[in-house]
Amino acid sequence: MTKQVQDQVIIRVEGLSKSFGKLHVLKGIDQHVNLGEVVSIIGPSGSGKSTFLRCLNLLETPEEGHIWFDGVDIADKKVRNARRFRPFSRGGVIDIDKHRQKIGMVFQHFNVFPNLTVLENITIAPTLEKKIPKAQAVARAEELLEKVGLLDKRDEYPRKLSGGQKQRLAIVRALAMEPEVILFDEPTSALDPEMVKDVLTVIKDLAESGMTIVIVTHEMGFAREVSDRVLFMEDGRIAEEGTPEEIFGNPKNPRTAEFLSKVL
Amino acid sequence: MFLENMIKIWQRYDYVFINGLFGTLWLALITVVVGTILGTFVALMRLSRSKILYAITGVYIEVLRGTPILLQLYFFWLLLPKIVPITMSDTACIIVALIVNSSAYVAEVIRAGIQAVDKGQTEAAKSLGMSDRNMMQHIILPQAIKNILPALGNEFIVMVKETSLASVFFVGELMTAYKTVQSTTFLALPSLTIAGLIYLIVTFVLTKLLKLLERRLKASD
Repeated sequence: MTKQVQDQVIIRVEGLSKSFGKLHVLKGIDQHVNLGEVVSIIGPSGSGKSTFLRCLNLLETPEEGHIWFDGVDIADKKVRNARRFRPFSRGGVIDIDKHRQKIGMVFQHFNVFPNLTVLENITIAPTLEKKIPKAQAVARAEELLEKVGLLDKRDEYPRKLSGGQKQRLAIVRALAMEPEVILFDEPTSALDPEMVKDVLTVIKDLAESGMTIVIVTHEMGFAREVSDRVLFMEDGRIAEEGTPEEIFGNPKNPRTAEFLSKVL
Repeated sequence: MFLENMIKIWQRYDYVFINGLFGTLWLALITVVVGTILGTFVALMRLSRSKILYAITGVYIEVLRGTPILLQLYFFWLLLPKIVPITMSDTACIIVALIVNSSAYVAEVIRAGIQAVDKGQTEAAKSLGMSDRNMMQHIILPQAIKNILPALGNEFIVMVKETSLASVFFVGELMTAYKTVQSTTFLALPSLTIAGLIYLIVTFVLTKLLKLLERRLKASD
């Protein structure tokens, strides 16, 4: 496997701030993600890792700052409200749903659709939102299911799947939209230990295939192995960033060292 | 003596009660069915991001749930003939009133059913770039139905009883049937007991059926 991190920035974040009521969760974050890059976000719980990740596809709406994706500031209020029914407003013509189609996301609790079969889980968004013909969507879904070893489950409902299988399905569901980047929000935290490896293998294969990935994780070994860059977050800020070797081998910030000593 | 009278009345006027019962069931059914359609729109407006729609539906629901249903029946019975260009029968006015009343309760049932769907489902659909409409139609509503159906069944049972108020306006239903029989036989208490027994049997059977439905819905989880 050869992979290249190109110098092309795919997501650029500037001065990102977010509060939940009085709780200031993100305190001004400046970051970028390059095309083909695998970025791991580590840090203590409550440090704002998940919130930061969820801001990138606007599942959380930041109060301040910019998120440039595909040359558009998706944190711009005009963009955010584009879907609202406001017959008399001008502007705001950029559709956040269209951007979300290019930013895949995998959740801690899988969030597979229980009312749809495995195959339908994967084909629903491509057929409805990208108007891909049914047969083509099914063929693509089967191809992806084959890769993660779930093809024999194609007509089952998710309730028949184990946690690890559900998470692999969730990954395939995200991939079926052909996203430019995938966000992973603690993808293995809700899994039984014996299921973790299967899911990590799928993510690792994805990383090696050149997919751009941002992952919030507590799996330090995994972060060290697959990441191009590691961000250590603490108290709503990125306290340190560097290559896995730098962060895990020779952390400069004493807070990073303290955190790593606790989890490693 | 009392029981004898009841049997006599039943032998003589059973068809009046039976017709009344069908009237009641028909009224309750049309009320809940149309009330559900109307209530779905009210619930979706209540859940929309528009503050205006939220406020309007809030008032709608508060007024209809905060005033007596009999008052609402009178209100529509008096108002509708004045504002509607076509002539409306008493029955039509009462049906409209019942539907509007029911829609407020159903709207709350549907809103609660939708909000009970795991928030992760919305987030997953949004993260895939699904539009609000597609998300509602294909992901949220199919899951919400399981929460909503039993409550709708309950609303139907409530309506079987509430429609008795329509007898005030002599709309054909079970309570009006009692009034008819009572006024020809002058045997009020036995006639009333018969009507009561019919209500009891119907609601008992419907409650059992609903329990069965609930169990089947749970089993499919």
